[in-house]
Amino acid sequence: MKKYRFGLLAATGLLALLAFSLPSHKTKVYMIGDSTMCLYGARQFPITGWGMPFADYFDQTVTIDDRAKGGRSTRTFLEENRWRPIADSLQPGDYVIIQFGHNDEAKEPQFAARYTPVPDYKTNLIKFITESRQKNAIPILVTPVSRRNFDKDGNAKETHVEYTQAVFDVGKQYQVPVIDLDAKSRALYQQLGPDRSKLLFMELDSAEHPNYPVGRHDNTHFNEYGARLMAEIVLNEIKAQHLALADKIVHKQTAAH
Amino acid sequence: MSIALIAAISAAFTWQPGKITVYLAGDSTMSNKAVSARPETGWGMPFNAFFDTTVRVDNKARNGRSTKSFIAEGIWKSITDSLHTGDYVLIQFGHNDEVPTKTTYTPKADYQANLERMIKETRDKGANPVLITPVARRSFDSSGNEKDTHEEYAAIVRQVASAQQVPLIDLDKESMALIQKFGPDDSKLLFNYIKPGENPNYPNGQSDNTHFSELGARKMAEIVLKDIKTLNLELASRIVVSHLGIK
Repeated sequence: MKKYRFGLLAATGLLALLAFSLPSHKTKVYMIGDSTMCLYGARQFPITGWGMPFADYFDQTVTIDDRAKGGRSTRTFLEENRWRPIADSLQPGDYVIIQFGHNDEAKEPQFAARYTPVPDYKTNLIKFITESRQKNAIPILVTPVSRRNFDKDGNAKETHVEYTQAVFDVGKQYQVPVIDLDAKSRALYQQLGPDRSKLLFMELDSAEHPNYPVGRHDNTHFNEYGARLMAEIVLNEIKAQHLALADKIVHKQTAAH
Repeated sequence: MSIALIAAISAAFTWQPGKITVYLAGDSTMSNKAVSARPETGWGMPFNAFFDTTVRVDNKARNGRSTKSFIAEGIWKSITDSLHTGDYVLIQFGHNDEVPTKTTYTPKADYQANLERMIKETRDKGANPVLITPVARRSFDSSGNEKDTHEEYAAIVRQVASAQQVPLIDLDKESMALIQKFGPDDSKLLFNYIKPGENPNYPNGQSDNTHFSELGARKMAEIVLKDIKTLNLELASRIVVSHLGIK
């Protein structure tokens, strides 16, 4: 009896120890990028970054922390000290999903403050990768989601040629998984065609939505529907490439028939 | 004297319309959805984004409910118990009332009586009822014409609205027109159509002609908002004023 009681005590103590030493840290998935990925408030609805619906599809062991910010290139994201706090708080096993390009590639004079030439873009991506890895966190590269741009024959055009290639170059050189959202999103626009694909974007008639009293015609930013379709592409690529993060995507049993 | 004048003037300048609540009473086409059901979206969800800070939208709509079960389960009472003068109750039922095989089935006479009861109990609290015909299902005939899927129950809503002088939003008719405009193929984008393997919540895919995608839910909410303006309800004065995009 005494022996049994000791055993029980020891077991309880062991359990308590175990409970305290178990990692309390949920896996954090940081998302860094631009306006196509970022969070938006209710006063901007229905504009939606794909990071918003993306967060709906993970189990309880994951926290999605979308730090993407509209208008940012890799360079301005770094200059504004948006990366350092993330790098500092990274824990082993966390993820960093990286999608830039829209603002890096903007060569027009009015965007000079954000423009980042390809070599610098690569250097900045490499910085995100190496500093994630220094913390034993896992970087994932995403090519910049395509803009909606059809030629007169109804073919969806490539809108990020050089910068998407740069993502692939860096991914290959540093053996980082690359999700080709650029190609996959463009394939979806092509499949939908020039008219239907507008339904994914911020295409609003005037007076349709009080948040946009003069309407909006936008081939870059998604509405809530397009953002979800983009999130689905990324989720399905995470599965297709058998990334460890795939285990944390909600898994529903297929209904029995 | 001068203090009273100053007080009166400052009151005039700081006067704001009182805060109100807009209750949504209805079924799954209107309700808030669990994260695990997404992307299925009720039109009450995007409806929430239309108003200024004087309005709180309380979406009490619930999946699977008819007027009968909404009342029997006490959901309706939870609304009337908290109603204040100036509040609104937007009422949209029918999908679960009109199906004889469902336990929620509500014969036409009962449906009418339940709507009349909801109107009366809303008005008893000094609040404003608004009747909404049941939003259309996607149902095309072989010639590509969207069919009226709520003919009898929508007619009852129209009759009750007219008899009781309640503002009416004919969402059945207007959503049918929208679905027709999109056509048999494109209209699928308004509904919860999911390919197998596309979305983690629907591994087998989904072909739902009743429940909306995010896009369809917003388009329905936009119809309701447009009618709130056309009807010139006091609620229309509380629609958010935005300057986005105005140079």
